[in-house]
Amino acid sequence: MQPQIKSKVRCTDGVAGEVAHVIADPIALDLSHLVVRVNGTERQVPMTAVSKTREDSVDLLCTSAQLAEFPVFAREDFLSSKEVEIPHLEEKIRVEPGQVFVPIPDLEKSVPRRRFFAGFTNLLAVLIGLPLIWPVLRFITKPMYAPFDNRWWKVGNISKIKQDNVGVQFIFKKSIKDSVLTREDDKSNWVVKATPEILKNIYTHGDLSFFDKNGNVIWVNKATVPYVAYSGKCPHLGCGYKWRSHKTRGQVFLCPCHLSIYDVTGKVLDGPAPRALDLLPIKVSASGEIEVIDIEYKAGTRQQDRIA
Amino acid sequence: MNALAQKVYDFVDERIGLKTLEAKMMNEPIKGGSRWAYVFGSVLLFIFIMQAVTGVLLMFYYIPSADHAYASTQYILNEVDYGWFILSYHFWGSSAMVVVVFAHMSQVFLWGAYKKPREMVWLVGLALFGLVMAFGFTGYLLPWDQRAYWATTVGVEIMDKTPIVGDFLARFLKGGPTPGQMTLSRFFVIHVMVLPAALMGLAGLHLFFFRSAGPAGPFRGTTEELKAKTDFFFPRQVWKDIIAMATVFLAISALALVEPVELLQEATPDPGDYHPEPEWYFLFLFQLLRWRIFSGEFGQSLAAIVLPALFMLLLAALPFIDRNPERNIFKRPIALVSWAVVMIGIVVLTISAILNREYLD
Repeated sequence: MQPQIKSKVRCTDGVAGEVAHVIADPIALDLSHLVVRVNGTERQVPMTAVSKTREDSVDLLCTSAQLAEFPVFAREDFLSSKEVEIPHLEEKIRVEPGQVFVPIPDLEKSVPRRRFFAGFTNLLAVLIGLPLIWPVLRFITKPMYAPFDNRWWKVGNISKIKQDNVGVQFIFKKSIKDSVLTREDDKSNWVVKATPEILKNIYTHGDLSFFDKNGNVIWVNKATVPYVAYSGKCPHLGCGYKWRSHKTRGQVFLCPCHLSIYDVTGKVLDGPAPRALDLLPIKVSASGEIEVIDIEYKAGTRQQDRIA
Repeated sequence: MNALAQKVYDFVDERIGLKTLEAKMMNEPIKGGSRWAYVFGSVLLFIFIMQAVTGVLLMFYYIPSADHAYASTQYILNEVDYGWFILSYHFWGSSAMVVVVFAHMSQVFLWGAYKKPREMVWLVGLALFGLVMAFGFTGYLLPWDQRAYWATTVGVEIMDKTPIVGDFLARFLKGGPTPGQMTLSRFFVIHVMVLPAALMGLAGLHLFFFRSAGPAGPFRGTTEELKAKTDFFFPRQVWKDIIAMATVFLAISALALVEPVELLQEATPDPGDYHPEPEWYFLFLFQLLRWRIFSGEFGQSLAAIVLPALFMLLLAALPFIDRNPERNIFKRPIALVSWAVVMIGIVVLTISAILNREYLD
């Protein structure tokens, strides 16, 4: 039987007080002390001073005078059993959980700078993480800013173009290296053989220069060459557009994703696209072979922003 | 055998307090009694577990490389026994997830269950909603067919329009300036490692917060009436939950049987005759981007990034703005009308996106 809270406490010379709390031994999982309230003072009485425990009372081996010599219960040296993690304590000690106290270990009491330790722990954690930020960032961003690809790609022959001022799709194989994986991807470009008046509307500012990352000119499209190539990537959000006949506008470039419509000069006629189709550097050999630099611009921006 | 099972149970109970744990899990008082309206959370957990199981199974055969992703997915569909079912279940399961997430959020919103003291449950729930959408987006690329490739291409271009961090975010997801193997690798690891870990952690937190705050209960009725109807989580609510789970399981299985996944052609940077389109639950956003008022650089980032972000922020701020303790939806006209407007808006935009398909052919 275990002593109950509010049980009367009898000394050898009569009733002296009542059990206010109990103190548990966190290692033995047993009661180590009773806290007895005598005349408004709480005294810490060891279980060795208890002779008998009954339903509603506890008998002590000492007199009430001796009881008054036990140390005063120092609340600040204890934690409620609710504030500590001690497995199986509640099964062993059948007292209201909030009324069971567990002594704070002596080693804990002599730790004067808890805030310093907490701060130091956090500081060390940060110091472990800090040197990792840069390497991890470099690790995951490695392929993100690849240099521009300024290679020329053979896309086909002009003999495929049967009509002036009409969009003709040229699909070509482009070899791509992703880390160690080499692949061939189909890429799509649109080539138009433009009549002089259409050409004037395409090259409104005359010859068109293309630049590398450092701003050096890599190629100039002469405004007099009738063949123009558009990147197959829709400048709206990067879908692949088509050459289609439109109910009211006639033959146009139409993007099925968000319904942007461009005329043969690449100008936006309708839809959400922020800029005209992107012209590519193009050269046509004497035998009619078309070559382009497959420049890629960011979609969705008013100004061209080269990314590859 | 029974005696042995009991012995094992007692052995475990003695060491970890299994009986108490079980009791605490099952004996959760449900104010006002169990209801069908409360099944959505459990159903979501069930759908997630099934997605995890089918997802792990798919990884037995799937090869996350641009050269083999498509072929290995075809292999799963055509060669592996019941591969078509596992993959189709995973596919339809993701749709079911989105549908039930909307139902769950609607229920919580209409019941006013996001209000004090359940703000933390609501906030973690919103983060979970974001994860579900991210799961859908990243998983969509993995089969590496035209649908997958183009939805991702456009989706990432949209993210590129995020103010300040957009360019970095898009390059980070693509693993380069253009979509390719690095994109697939990144989407794969995010889909199968990062998101599941995040979802498990946050779902645990969601449940913990929910249990700490307690269920909200019905929005009308006196304390006496509610007390009279109150029961525990087990058995009545658990029973309703399991019936709902079984129904969802049958529905997903039926969809997998009737409409198994069929891949389009392998992804290429030329869409051919395919009209790129995202998964149906992103269609409303997709349709919004077709509007003229959302054209141009500013308009796009408004429709695709700023408005959705503001909407999520509004939802997050909701319990702090709406401090009126009234939970009855019929006494919260603004809440009811806003909910209806959002739902009708989504439905109308989705339908018009579908109708637009015809115009394209």
